[in-house]
Amino acid sequence: MMFGLAALAIVVAAIMVLYRGIKGPRVYDRLLAINSMGTKTVILIALIGYMYERPHFLDIALVYALINFIGTIAFLKYRETGRLD
Amino acid sequence: MNEHVIVQTISKILIPFIQLYALYVLAHGELGPGGGFQAGAIFGASIVLYVLAFGMKSAKLRFKSKVFDFLTSAGVFIFATVGVLCMIAGGAFLQYSSLPLPTKKLASGIGIYGIEIGVFITVTAVLVTIFFETAEQDDD
Repeated sequence: MMFGLAALAIVVAAIMVLYRGIKGPRVYDRLLAINSMGTKTVILIALIGYMYERPHFLDIALVYALINFIGTIAFLKYRETGRLD
Repeated sequence: MNEHVIVQTISKILIPFIQLYALYVLAHGELGPGGGFQAGAIFGASIVLYVLAFGMKSAKLRFKSKVFDFLTSAGVFIFATVGVLCMIAGGAFLQYSSLPLPTKKLASGIGIYGIEIGVFITVTAVLVTIFFETAEQDDD
C-alpha cells in the first residue's frame, strides 16, 4: 500500500515534469525535464520491484541511472559543439 | 570538449564502476536480469562515455579501431568454438551437456558462460565501432 502511494506520487511528479518537457521554452528546460524524468523512472522501477517482490529490478534501476547520465552528457556535448567526438 | 574538468573527473570516477557492473551483469545473467548482450551494451556505453568526456583523439590512442575489428570476429569465434566443441564431444551444436565435465549441470553452466562471453565481446566491439563511425562521419 505504501509503495503504491509512493509510486502514485512519483507518477504525478512525472506528469508535471512532462509538462515542462513539452512546454519548456529553451532546450535546457527540456533537458532538465528529461534528466529528472530519468531519475523518477529509476525510483519507479525500484518501487515496482519491491511491490511485486522481485528485488532483481534494482539491477535494472541501476543500469537505467548509469545510461541516463551518459545520455545527458552526450546531448549537452552535441548542443555545445555540434558533434559527438 | 577541451577543458571540462567536472565531466572528466566524474567520468574518470564512474567508468570503472560501469565496467565492473557490466561484468556483474555478464556473470549474474543466469540468476538475474541480464546476459551477454546487455553486459556488452553497458560496457560499450562506458567506452562511449570516455569518448564523450575526453574527445576522440585521446580515445583513439587507447581504443584502436583495428582492435575492435578483431574483437568483433573474436566473439563470434568463441561462440562457434564452444558450439563445435560440443559437436566434437559427441553432441549436437551447442548441446552443452555433452561436454566432457564431471556433471551435466557444470557442463551446461560452463558452456553457457562461454557463449555469453563471446556475445559480450562481439556486442561491445560492434557498438563501439558504430559509435566511432557515426561520430566522426563529417571529418572529410
